[in-house]
Amino acid sequence: MFGINTWKALRQRGVMGINQRNGDYVLMYNDRHLYPLVDDKIRTKNLALSAGIRVPEMYGIIDTEQGISTLDHIVETHGDFVIKPAQGAGGDGIMVISDRFEGFYRSSSGRMISPEELEFHISGIISGIYSLGGHRDRALIEYRVRSTDLFDRISIGGVPDVRIIVLKGYPVAAMLRLPTRQSDGKANLHQGAIGVGVDIATGVTLSGTWHNLKIDRHPDTAHPVAGVQIPDWQECLDLAARCYDLTGLGYLGVDLVMDKHKGPMMLELNARPGLNIQIAIDDGLVRRCQIVEKHLEKLGDDAEAEPVARRVALSKQHFAVARLPDQVITTAQ
Amino acid sequence: MRSVKLHARLLATTLLIVGIGSMAYQVLVQKVPLKESETDPVWVVDAQVSFTARPNQPLKARMFVPPLDSGFTALNESFISNNYGVNVNRENGNRLVTWSARRGAGEETLYYRLMLTPRFAEPAPPPEGGPQFRPSPSLQGAERVAADALLAPIRQHSADIETFISETIKRVNNLENDNVRLLLGGDLRPENRARVVDLLLAVAHIPAEPVHTLQLADNKSQQPELWLRTFNGQDWLYFNPLDGRQGLPEDRLVWWSGEKPLLTLEGGRGSRVSFSVHENEMSALQLAQSLKLQDRNTFIDFTFYELPVPTQQLLKVLIMIPVGVLLVLLIRSLVGMETLGTFTPVLIALAFRETQVIWGVLLFTGITTVGLSVRSYLEHLKLQLLARLSVVLTFVVIMMGVITLLSYKLGLSTGLSVALFPMVILTMVIERVSIVWEERGGPQSLKVAIGTLIAAVLCHFLMVWEQLIYLVFTFPGILLMLAAVMVVMGHYRGYRLMELLRFRAMTEEGN
Repeated sequence: MFGINTWKALRQRGVMGINQRNGDYVLMYNDRHLYPLVDDKIRTKNLALSAGIRVPEMYGIIDTEQGISTLDHIVETHGDFVIKPAQGAGGDGIMVISDRFEGFYRSSSGRMISPEELEFHISGIISGIYSLGGHRDRALIEYRVRSTDLFDRISIGGVPDVRIIVLKGYPVAAMLRLPTRQSDGKANLHQGAIGVGVDIATGVTLSGTWHNLKIDRHPDTAHPVAGVQIPDWQECLDLAARCYDLTGLGYLGVDLVMDKHKGPMMLELNARPGLNIQIAIDDGLVRRCQIVEKHLEKLGDDAEAEPVARRVALSKQHFAVARLPDQVITTAQ
Repeated sequence: MRSVKLHARLLATTLLIVGIGSMAYQVLVQKVPLKESETDPVWVVDAQVSFTARPNQPLKARMFVPPLDSGFTALNESFISNNYGVNVNRENGNRLVTWSARRGAGEETLYYRLMLTPRFAEPAPPPEGGPQFRPSPSLQGAERVAADALLAPIRQHSADIETFISETIKRVNNLENDNVRLLLGGDLRPENRARVVDLLLAVAHIPAEPVHTLQLADNKSQQPELWLRTFNGQDWLYFNPLDGRQGLPEDRLVWWSGEKPLLTLEGGRGSRVSFSVHENEMSALQLAQSLKLQDRNTFIDFTFYELPVPTQQLLKVLIMIPVGVLLVLLIRSLVGMETLGTFTPVLIALAFRETQVIWGVLLFTGITTVGLSVRSYLEHLKLQLLARLSVVLTFVVIMMGVITLLSYKLGLSTGLSVALFPMVILTMVIERVSIVWEERGGPQSLKVAIGTLIAAVLCHFLMVWEQLIYLVFTFPGILLMLAAVMVVMGHYRGYRLMELLRFRAMTEEGN
């Protein structure tokens, strides 16, 4: 029967299901009271700053209607910036301003936006249009990340990001999320972005997933997604591993962006990372998590004292893929 | 983690054992029927007394009625008469009813009706004990000789009282025998034969007494059948004086014992008593409830059936909620279908009770569609979430009003059933679907809404299934079993059916 064979095959590969993720990982490793740390982007950012983790620079926060008038002052010295709801989900409510012209703002897609329109948008964010459950929210104004040219061939609009799953401080899986036309520039798999597996040991991209399917080429640009070397990979892994010490969340999805000038930066954290990364890396998360768990068991009480470098080294050693793509692109062409 | 798992497993096992135990107790010990439709036979015994009253004389009719101390439970006993006083009293283990009137005239008829059931019969109290010896009557001449001649072989062929009586009955029924014929004196009626048996037993100092029994079988009319019984020190032993059969069949009801006639009449003549028996069916539940009114011990003690009926009706709805919740849990964790929360499909299912399913589904779909259309229109106006939802909900209520009005004008009675409760639930659902739309987009909210609707319809059918309602309501232990399943599901780590599809690309088949 189809079902039983599939079941067995998935178990054998150590594929994680939602029930298992919720029960054995999220419920086990993530304390509920720690969730607010990652649900509010401003809190996450402040936490990261205090620990010296690189994040997009915060220009200002607007949390009242009166505060909207300070926008001019906040962005006075910045030509481009991003406005985000602090508790938004799935990339909703994010407005990217790339330029200014004659008192107008220009969005990343080239549309001209009047200051009134921008103020209205911020007012919407504050009143909670984009926040979970419609609570009052804060608007965050921050540095606009400029994606490295390396990904130009395999992404459309928006900024690709790297999602790394971290278990107790050990990076176990990584994927590069590339926006598509369908995802409207957002790097969210649910909305139609593609996920491309990344080799933990080298940072080279592998094959990808799009709507639960395996794919080899970007659906819009038709360029192969495999064989791209993510820059500063070691730093990415270090950053991700440190996010565990930062938050105390044992099972964590870390989203990083690759800025053209400033290198990798931590964008946001997720306490319930999705499972489609497994299709991207073509490997089961349970299989990988169990390796880490076995290692932790061996360490016993010393587990907490394991330094970041050692943790990353272990991950690199265990989670290297057997066969890398033949051609690896390391610079933009 | 392992200890927690063990703990949960222990909890589930305990819940399951307690649940099954309580149900088993109810079924096996209390004999609670597993089906609501289960019926018990109820016997209706009618005795009709008719006689001609002498004019202008006081009337007094005394008749034996069953003592009702064993084997059967009396549901109802009635004495029907016109202008008679009725009095019931006990006499030597018998019950006697006395109908009395100052004067009667012409044909008079009295009725006695008894409804009996073999269920819930309390075990017969240990017999008070009967005589174990009696003096032998003085017989003279030929009768003496005949009796002795009969008794000698009987004594030889028997070992104890039981076999002695059987042997006696056998001999007396051998009508070829001259001694028997002499004692019977040409009267071959069963009463006389019983008298002769009794006589012989008396000569042998064995106590015995005649009992008059009625058979509980569906035949129109019958007369009491005579049996003999004797006390062996522990129990009454019953014998049929015609064929020596031992042991009273289960369907025989002792009406009275002793030699007195069934009816004694003063102030009348030409008395006649006729019996008729017929069988009725009564649901076991009704039976228990009517017995409860008589303060009898039945299985409904300390069950929900003791509650007032309106409370029972409410509880029957409430008690099905865990069943629906479990179904939603299974749909979500095993199948992986997405629904709005756990409780919402159950609430919608409850709303379907009032609107009926088809109408409910139409209403749900129609109003949700309208609500969401209004929502997406308002999205263009960039209204704040709270204001937007308020407008949506207002339009939903307007829609409901219009539907109710239209269906009333068109003469559709179902429209009127858009009662307060379904309205509140529908409004709530639309709010939640809107929030999902805001947070996760249109296709996702459509998926969730359809999942919710399917789950709600399934829940509804499960929650209005009479058989199941009866089971859960009658055996509340089932709720503990459900809780056990829920606890186990809390540690379920397997794949959801939908995930088999989702991760299919990772298997060889999928490639």
